Amino acid sequence: MIEEPYRWVEAIANRREYIETQLAQGSPIAAVGYRDGIVFVTLGRARQKIFEIYDRIAMGAIGHPGDIERLRMAAIELASTEGFTRSAADVSLRRLAHYSLSPVMKAAFEQVYGPPYLARLLFAEIGSSPKEDLFLRVDYDGSIAADGLTAQPRQRFAVLSGTRQSAELMEKFLQKEHVTDAPLADAVNTALDAWSVGKMAISENGVKELPQRDVIRKHRDEQLANAAIEAAALERDAKSAIRYRILPGEELPSSLQR
Amino acid sequence: MDKPPLVLDPNFSGASEDFPAVLRRKGLLQVAPEPTAAAGGHSFVPTESTTILAFKFSGGVLVAGDRRATAGNTVVYDRADKVLEIDRHSIMAIAGVPATAWEMARVLEHSFQYFRRTQLQEMSVDGKVRALSKLLRDNFGFVMQGVGVVVPIFATYDGNSKPEARLYFYDAMGAQFEVTDYAATGSGSPAVRGILYYENHWGRKKLQELGEDDAVAIALRALDTAAEADTSTGGVDRSGKIFPLIKIVSRDGITTLPEEKVGAVFKQSVA
Repeated sequence: MIEEPYRWVEAIANRREYIETQLAQGSPIAAVGYRDGIVFVTLGRARQKIFEIYDRIAMGAIGHPGDIERLRMAAIELASTEGFTRSAADVSLRRLAHYSLSPVMKAAFEQVYGPPYLARLLFAEIGSSPKEDLFLRVDYDGSIAADGLTAQPRQRFAVLSGTRQSAELMEKFLQKEHVTDAPLADAVNTALDAWSVGKMAISENGVKELPQRDVIRKHRDEQLANAAIEAAALERDAKSAIRYRILPGEELPSSLQR
Repeated sequence: MDKPPLVLDPNFSGASEDFPAVLRRKGLLQVAPEPTAAAGGHSFVPTESTTILAFKFSGGVLVAGDRRATAGNTVVYDRADKVLEIDRHSIMAIAGVPATAWEMARVLEHSFQYFRRTQLQEMSVDGKVRALSKLLRDNFGFVMQGVGVVVPIFATYDGNSKPEARLYFYDAMGAQFEVTDYAATGSGSPAVRGILYYENHWGRKKLQELGEDDAVAIALRALDTAAEADTSTGGVDRSGKIFPLIKIVSRDGITTLPEEKVGAVFKQSVA
């Protein structure tokens, strides 16, 4: 069936289309830098979508739960064995993504007789200063988009969503609204708005342009009525080596008042 | 065709594995030979040259250890840390061969974190106690060869079911014993056990009722007494101002007492 090259290209294209359809409904995730670290925010009904990978690395994911779980386990195992044999300082998100995850996901995607990973991953690694923070997105085909590896101007945020259009709109929103050294409550607030923008873009008659402020707010309040906020932070100056902290519900309402 | 329909990819079966198993699969953890009666033909001689003690007091569990490391009758180091933090609420204090003990502490620390990260919940106190027990059991082959004996104390704070401090000691084979009041291991421990027993029964207060300063004073006196007769126990180096390492486990986590504080109590109640 795919002995000829163009058939293979065709098979890959079909597979891409299939995966995109599967991922299209994924609830967005926003990771934004704030004064004392990085915070991951999403809204959900059932599954946990934000995870701790290692002392300084967190992950958000959309896709099939089984695939997310396998990739999450692989990431934790790689980081843990590296941290054990060398030291926690030698665990690097850059290598984890480029050297370990990306090739595995690419191979699974391109071997058209085997199952691909139905998952899209968003990672952040907190450094000792904001300059050393790294945001990184690994897609189902192994492609990587990063903020922080090169000398280009930094945005200090990253998003993950079901569709490209939704993600682009969220980025556009954050480029406008994100303040690098905002306190945590403000950052959660902005991230929730970004989530709303992303969510509006993937709904049935999705918005194409940035909606007005009050429209975003109205949508957000409607969504909050029947879903829970999930948030976790990587704290730069945490006393312990483990920087990841789940933000409990009682810490969140203060940021919803604004 | 050759494969059964359901295969778990061995590279991704983390959920069912504990961290030591992951390390063994990757060849990163040395596997001890099975202990046999004929192993070297010599009998097992415990060589835990140190003194470690722990007891419950009103503020949680106090864990103290001297700082001396010896090889035979030579003192090789006088600032050894034998009281090790494993996670926010757990301490492992070690008597025995440092190389094995520190490696064991490292495996344990990573095991607890690996469990929390993969299973998305904190490991239970019983699970933690058992994890250390398994490490000791896996190490017993080395013990029988005359290398690598470790006899630890494990102190932790159980925040889950019934909030309380928990204290355990182990033997070299991995049997765990939970204690209500105090534990001591190492070559200087007989003297320490005598003192703690005496204090708990006929002292002014029971150990569990002591305030922090009194608890620290008793710990220092006990280590000083142990050092009196045991050459492998450092006690307090009065000239070099090297004091025992004292840590306290409580509901709020682990506190390491600063040297000035230990020094002040020492000056007031011991010297």
